[in-house]
Amino acid sequence: MEQQLDLTKLNENDKKELNQVLTSEAQKSNIQQTVHHLNEVCWEKCITSKISSGSLDKSETACAQNCVDRWMDTSLAVLSKLDAMRGGPGH
Amino acid sequence: MSSIFGSGSTAAPQSSAEIKQAVLRQLQQETAMSNARALIGKINKHCFKACVPSPDSSLSTKENTCLSNCMDKYIAMWNVTSKTYIARVNVETKRMGGQEAAAIGSMASGLPEGGGGIMG
Repeated sequence: MEQQLDLTKLNENDKKELNQVLTSEAQKSNIQQTVHHLNEVCWEKCITSKISSGSLDKSETACAQNCVDRWMDTSLAVLSKLDAMRGGPGH
Repeated sequence: MSSIFGSGSTAAPQSSAEIKQAVLRQLQQETAMSNARALIGKINKHCFKACVPSPDSSLSTKENTCLSNCMDKYIAMWNVTSKTYIARVNVETKRMGGQEAAAIGSMASGLPEGGGGIMG
């Protein structure tokens, strides 16, 4: 902590504004964390040969893009299957 | 005098506007720091694995070159991943009629439920 901030001194408008900023920052941070996770997963799948340059070649770029999209497909498939299961065998 | 830990000698902010600015500044610093920390940790893990298969008494020139390339490559891939993921989230959000699709991503990556505010 760099400073003791007395948040009770905030007026209503500033409180509201801060809440909005915090909500959107929390969202951004969620997305960023997912990207960190995804990048790790896709790095292991797509970077399989020896690292000899600092940039991605064409096939690595394509693999990375496909990896993200298929991962997203997978999460959607899992969710829709779970959703169907929740309906239960009796429905 | 200011240090990287902020301006230690300034008085604590008093007005609402000053406090707001201070909170925003702190928020920005902490999010940048946490993002950098995550990136550094993952680069270290994956580049160590890729470039230093059998650790010797010191890093060789080859290993150093590999590490430097690996770092650039990891960041290049991060940018591709980020761009692709955000584009996809936007598509799905639209398809689901404006419902936040990023929540699916964070659920699927096993992340804890995100960010309760500090404002209560």
